[in-house]
Amino acid sequence: MIMNEFEPKIVAFVCNWCTYAGADLTGTSRIKYAQNVKIIRFPCTGRIDFMLLLKAFGEGADGIIVSGCHPNDCHYTSGNFHARRRWIMFRGLLDLLGIDVRRIQYSWVSAAEGAKWADIVNTTVTAIRELGPYTDYAKVAGYLEKEAKV
Amino acid sequence: MNELIKKATTLLESSAVQVVIGYGKGSASRTRAIFVTQPADCDKLIFDSRCVQNLAVYLTKAEIKKLGKPAIVAPIPVLRSILQLAAENQLKEDGLIVLGISPESELVEFESFAAIETFLASNKIEIEDKYKKKIEQIKAMPVSERFDFWVKELELCFKCYACRAACPLCYCTRCTVENNQPQWIPAASHTLGNLEWHVMRAMHLAGRCTDCEACYNACPMGIPIHLLTKSMLQDVEENFGTYGPSLNKQNTLSSFNPDDKESFIR
Amino acid sequence: MSKIGVFICHCGENISATVDVVKVAEEAGKLEGVAFSTDYKYMCSDPGQTIIKQMIKEKGLTGVVVAACSPRMHEPTFRKACSEAGLNPYMCEMSNLREHCSWVHDKSDATTQKAIDLVRTLVEKVKYNKPLHNIKVPVTKTALVIGGGIAGIQASLDIANAGHQVVLIEKDPSIGGHMSQLSETFPTLDCSQCILTPRMVEVAQHPNITLLTYAELEKLEGFIGNFKATIRKKAKSIDEKLCTGCGLCTTKCPTKKIPSEFNTGLGFRPAIYVPFPQAVPNKPVIDKLNCQYYLKGKCKVCEKVCPTGAIRFDQEDELVEMEVGAVVAATGFNVMEPSGFPEYGYGKYKDVITGLQFERLASASGPTLGEIRRPSDGAIPKKIVFIACAGSRDPAKGIPYCSKICCMYTAKHAMLYQHKVHGGESYIFYMDIRAGGKNYEEFTRRAIVDDEVNYIRGRVSKVYEENGKLIVKGVDTLLNAKPVEIEADMVVLASAAVANPGSEELAQRMHISYDAYNFFSEAHPKLKPVETNTAGIFLAGACQAPKDIPETVSQASGAAAKVAILFSQNELSREPVVAVVNRSPAPLYSTCVGCFMCATACPYQAIGEELITDRKGNVIKRVAKVNPGLCQGCGTCVAFCRSKSIDIDGYSNEQMYSEVMALLNAE
Repeated sequence: MIMNEFEPKIVAFVCNWCTYAGADLTGTSRIKYAQNVKIIRFPCTGRIDFMLLLKAFGEGADGIIVSGCHPNDCHYTSGNFHARRRWIMFRGLLDLLGIDVRRIQYSWVSAAEGAKWADIVNTTVTAIRELGPYTDYAKVAGYLEKEAKV
Repeated sequence: MNELIKKATTLLESSAVQVVIGYGKGSASRTRAIFVTQPADCDKLIFDSRCVQNLAVYLTKAEIKKLGKPAIVAPIPVLRSILQLAAENQLKEDGLIVLGISPESELVEFESFAAIETFLASNKIEIEDKYKKKIEQIKAMPVSERFDFWVKELELCFKCYACRAACPLCYCTRCTVENNQPQWIPAASHTLGNLEWHVMRAMHLAGRCTDCEACYNACPMGIPIHLLTKSMLQDVEENFGTYGPSLNKQNTLSSFNPDDKESFIR
Repeated sequence: MSKIGVFICHCGENISATVDVVKVAEEAGKLEGVAFSTDYKYMCSDPGQTIIKQMIKEKGLTGVVVAACSPRMHEPTFRKACSEAGLNPYMCEMSNLREHCSWVHDKSDATTQKAIDLVRTLVEKVKYNKPLHNIKVPVTKTALVIGGGIAGIQASLDIANAGHQVVLIEKDPSIGGHMSQLSETFPTLDCSQCILTPRMVEVAQHPNITLLTYAELEKLEGFIGNFKATIRKKAKSIDEKLCTGCGLCTTKCPTKKIPSEFNTGLGFRPAIYVPFPQAVPNKPVIDKLNCQYYLKGKCKVCEKVCPTGAIRFDQEDELVEMEVGAVVAATGFNVMEPSGFPEYGYGKYKDVITGLQFERLASASGPTLGEIRRPSDGAIPKKIVFIACAGSRDPAKGIPYCSKICCMYTAKHAMLYQHKVHGGESYIFYMDIRAGGKNYEEFTRRAIVDDEVNYIRGRVSKVYEENGKLIVKGVDTLLNAKPVEIEADMVVLASAAVANPGSEELAQRMHISYDAYNFFSEAHPKLKPVETNTAGIFLAGACQAPKDIPETVSQASGAAAKVAILFSQNELSREPVVAVVNRSPAPLYSTCVGCFMCATACPYQAIGEELITDRKGNVIKRVAKVNPGLCQGCGTCVAFCRSKSIDIDGYSNEQMYSEVMALLNAE
């Protein structure tokens, strides 16, 4: 195991109709991006429960990407508006608690923005790599110990 | 508070209500909530500056609902909670009698929830400067330090859920913490579980909290959890314009404005 | 006990070139709950699908994960294969190893590990999948068309000719709408009434159409295929079965000087009236606000002279309930009264009129029998000024949009004037000439070249009266902003096309979206111009946005086609990925506390209330209930619910939680 090359683990919560399709387009266009991001598919950003983001950090994620349709383009008309409000409140709360909001990247990526998706992934991976592993959270979540045991 | 006692006695005698929820003498020099069912016991009702408990929490409890139609002594914080509960379909207009207490300690009667809203329009929620300063102080710390501050505070939490029991807006018959498929919040009181619990509590109160501080008053460890909810109130005002209970406004989180500001979304 | 089958596709070389698919299959086979794991070159091919079907039967698989291309590509393919093998199709999920993995990364251990992680994630999700069955909803094959203008008429005829029942309601005493008020239509200069009235008669006589005039929508409940509409039939004070339409009552009515709505206030009508001679139905109604009997209890002349005794002063409004399967909103538009523009003098000077009022002057059945005459003194105007964009394209006055039809009808008005008043001079002050339709540009050219209409590019700053003439002060921007002053006899304002008053309330009653100008919103501006976001309610005509007659007729036929598609099935089959509020045995019944935050968030109004009662009918609890016919499966409600009482099959809390856990934990 290479000790000094830290590879961040990043989970992406994306909506099916825009960002998932946009990521598909990135693939079809064969645009390469970093391997650290793994996608979980939701029907709409409105479905994304904020606790899932916290759980992701608790299970060892160093960074999170949340992405959906641009405002006014939601396939279900208003899911992303509700999500946006939820994220504004959630981000404020996390910020107060000292949970590093720089580790969560929110974005709007449409089904036509394959290049933008690759860009979001690459810039997020670079940013998280600079921030380093999320050791603060690991202290409370105990997963560093888990890894050490293995 | 003779007027209050008189009114309560009349209501019970005429069987307009079956129970009066009010403040009574507690242990030492404290007050506690009392539930008067006999007209003769109405003289146990008191009201002074020690009465800070939020009585509205009892309006949704099954044990109290069983007693019958209640009258409730309601200073401003309790009025706000009543209005918010009404806005969330938890109270019926003819299901209770509200004995409001104005900031000048006078009895105010209300015929409808709309009347309460009008009354509260001149008593808006104001977060005190000392809390605003404290929140600013915390936010001024670098991220790691901030996290350490809260980890230290939350280590004290032992998941007694007194905060949940005291909050009038926590009326779910089955709380998410009681859900184990999946287990959103671990039941044990380790720091991660405590953190997750308080994040969830604060988010569930986003746009609904009426700043009564019952949660902080109930916490046996004195953890400043009210700072979380007060900070959320500030965020609501900053981002969405208004806060405070209202029958006409939709809940902050379940409504939206197509022009909501988004400074952090790429 | 899960018995999941994992099938890794090579996709030729598309996946196998960068991902070690054999290793992925091996690792997947080691996961708990996986009964079978293999890899194959082309999973979507016939032999590939056969492997899946065989293994389902051989191993008794309870779930299937196909790790291949994007589910947006082949999910239906593999779900169908599972279905054919006897496994519920919703027990099959796909992991995206191609678009999200092999195509975007280089060959490396990390890439293979990512593929292993992605497969593991979906395996954990499938363990919580439930068998789901398509939802069937019955369809009532009757359509309700609201609005009897050309849009409503066209839609009604198309739906009726497709063999379905139609109920057409119109709030005025007659159908016809604004098209019946026009004299001639652009670009053909067809007589408007001549092309419209045959259709009006067809509607009245069509066996499949029930025509209700002087009627409005009171309430609309229900959902697609199963609406319940309550119609208010306003009291006409006439027994329509006895009335022969002889019109004697209208000639004898003593109250004759009520400004006629049909003639835009330029003519009069009596209190018992037929709006225009070609009205359908050609039967009068009594205007209760102006009738002597209703106001003072006197008169009753109409009752005395009616040969069949058809007058019924005691008639009341009637509320009629009907079941319909689809609704078409065709309520049209209105022409703004530009009294908010004091510079033009509308309302102050009698000879400043709107374009619609000019139509009535030009119309052969209008107040001046087709002669262009000044409303003030009846004289024929020698010089007439038309002002285009009187209200539209003006953000400061609240109407930033273009009303689309005014350039064309202003050219038409000027041409009609030149044809009717030989030697007359007409001027049009314009900003642009928008003539984009078929033969439209040629039409406007005719106005300029053949009929010598004077087009001045510039705006008008003021219209005022001096010595009996209307002085129009404007500017000619093509001549370097040279000021222009015209002494006109009449000024016609092409004022903005706006939504009808009451549109907002009607949209709310129908639960459809509307925009800031109260025009009804289409589901997608490009690809769904005739549907609304409310399933089963369609749009036709200018109620959606200002448009001309050809576009209105096209859109109406489009809406009718959508209705016909809906009615072509006896049952609607819908994807079962919908939200469900939990129910449990007594005494809890449901963990839902009835706060209805979910209902306020739902974009489709799919969440209603359910009263849980005991055997005596006493209400125990009031909880939320999702209408599976309306729910589109976005899951917004699920994320809102504080007590986690509502969940969505297909993206349930357990499924998403297990996906997150599995993704980050390698054991």
